[in-house]
Amino acid sequence: MQGGVSASAVFELRNVAYTVPVREGQRDILRGVDFALGAGEILAIVGPSGTGKTSLIRIIAGLVAQSSGEVLFRGRPVAGPPEGVAVVFQDYANALLQWRTVAANIALGIERRLDRAACARQVERCLALVGLERHAGDYPWQLSGGMQQRVQIARALALEPAVLLMDEPFASLDAMTKASLQDEMLRLRGETGASFVFITHDIEEAIYLGDRVAVLRGRPGTIAETHGVGLGAVRDQVASRAAPEFLELRQRLHGAIGAHA
Amino acid sequence: MTGRQWASGVGGLLVCLAVWQVLVGSGLIEYDLLPSPWTIAAGLSTLVVEPAFAVELGHTLAATLLGWLVAVLAGTGLGALLGTSPRARRYCLASIEVLRPLPAVAFVPVALLLFGFSLQMELLVIVAPALWPALVNTMEGFAGVPQRLTDVAATFHLSAGTRLWRVYLPAAAPAVLVGMRLSLSLALVMAVVAEMVGNPEGLGYALVREQQALHPDLMFGYVLVIGVAGMVLNGLLLLASRFALPGLFRRPVARWDSA
Repeated sequence: MQGGVSASAVFELRNVAYTVPVREGQRDILRGVDFALGAGEILAIVGPSGTGKTSLIRIIAGLVAQSSGEVLFRGRPVAGPPEGVAVVFQDYANALLQWRTVAANIALGIERRLDRAACARQVERCLALVGLERHAGDYPWQLSGGMQQRVQIARALALEPAVLLMDEPFASLDAMTKASLQDEMLRLRGETGASFVFITHDIEEAIYLGDRVAVLRGRPGTIAETHGVGLGAVRDQVASRAAPEFLELRQRLHGAIGAHA
Repeated sequence: MTGRQWASGVGGLLVCLAVWQVLVGSGLIEYDLLPSPWTIAAGLSTLVVEPAFAVELGHTLAATLLGWLVAVLAGTGLGALLGTSPRARRYCLASIEVLRPLPAVAFVPVALLLFGFSLQMELLVIVAPALWPALVNTMEGFAGVPQRLTDVAATFHLSAGTRLWRVYLPAAAPAVLVGMRLSLSLALVMAVVAEMVGNPEGLGYALVREQQALHPDLMFGYVLVIGVAGMVLNGLLLLASRFALPGLFRRPVARWDSA
């Protein structure tokens, strides 16, 4: 899945705008946002802070309603968080239930849907997917930031979602942890076949992970341009980042963001 | 507290007691009704073995715990409702802010008028003021649940009951516990007050009785017993909460939100 919009779009946003009331009237956060997410695709959305990235992911996730325009999930308008969509937030410390063990956190979305044995099997499988088998009984606050973010990803994967929405998930992690989680995410995409909307302010991360990269820009924010990433499905932290396609796209995105930031 | 801090604290206390003993024992200060620590200890030792003492202690503790239980159940229930519903807060907050500052002892004449010298009177005097710390702290605990957790509850499609019991209540638990502890210490104080002026039973009444019978050693003994009872109740509650919520007390205080 490279370049171009898939005919079978999972998510589709049409002319979405988002406005919040402020003391002197209202502030436009997003305006005229259009894009489609194809099945199995990773769409990276890159933009500087203050362009409404988090608002955009909250709208897609059904946590807030857009002010105008359409948000479609599998062709149906989104009203509230849709089934089959999981969200991974940047601030893992708040997003995890700190009073629950790692295993109990991962079970959060499935413990009432599956019987006990099936739930335990699913938790075990998801622990293995992110390499945390040995930490099932630990509490989140006993783990490093990278491990806590893995717990959050495993908790989302336990739902077996068709779409994962990720809001700057690796932004507060160190460079090494970030790189290993990026590779883990690409591997998980291969194993689960899920689609991803990946929001980041890091241009290189967007290119490295994305099948396509969309640029969110301006105040109010809008999708200014979208680029296919010609790197192939298999990525490598060293080789891919040195490839001419990578460097060329990086330069174009820097220009696209820098000129208008 | 470390062992060293404990030792220093106990040392300071012993020095104060020694000074008191010397001042009273040597006749440097002459005041007929101020007994020395030694006399109080002697009085206390005869007091605690009497069967009547157990009845008095039992009455005060039972009234305190019963009143506290009612206050905590009502206070946390209402607090949870107000903390989760901005609309409920909008309608009720003004009433709460008017009722809450009323001095606790002002309820005593009201309660006496309503129930006479009885246990009901004592319970009213306990419950009315002990309600507020539980209510206000629970409300703030629930209102302060990070938006991220409500996002998580929504995107994981948790039912209303699961949200309340498994997400919001544990997240608000530290604040709820603070409210419960404040309520408990207030409940004991109000039980003693009610017994001193209203319901003629328990430690509070015994305190007044010994004062009027000119037994200052026993009176001070009762004061001491009430103080220790408060410390023990507080300690037991802390212990129980640590036992009930193991994951809670060593969690980091990190609370930050993404831009």
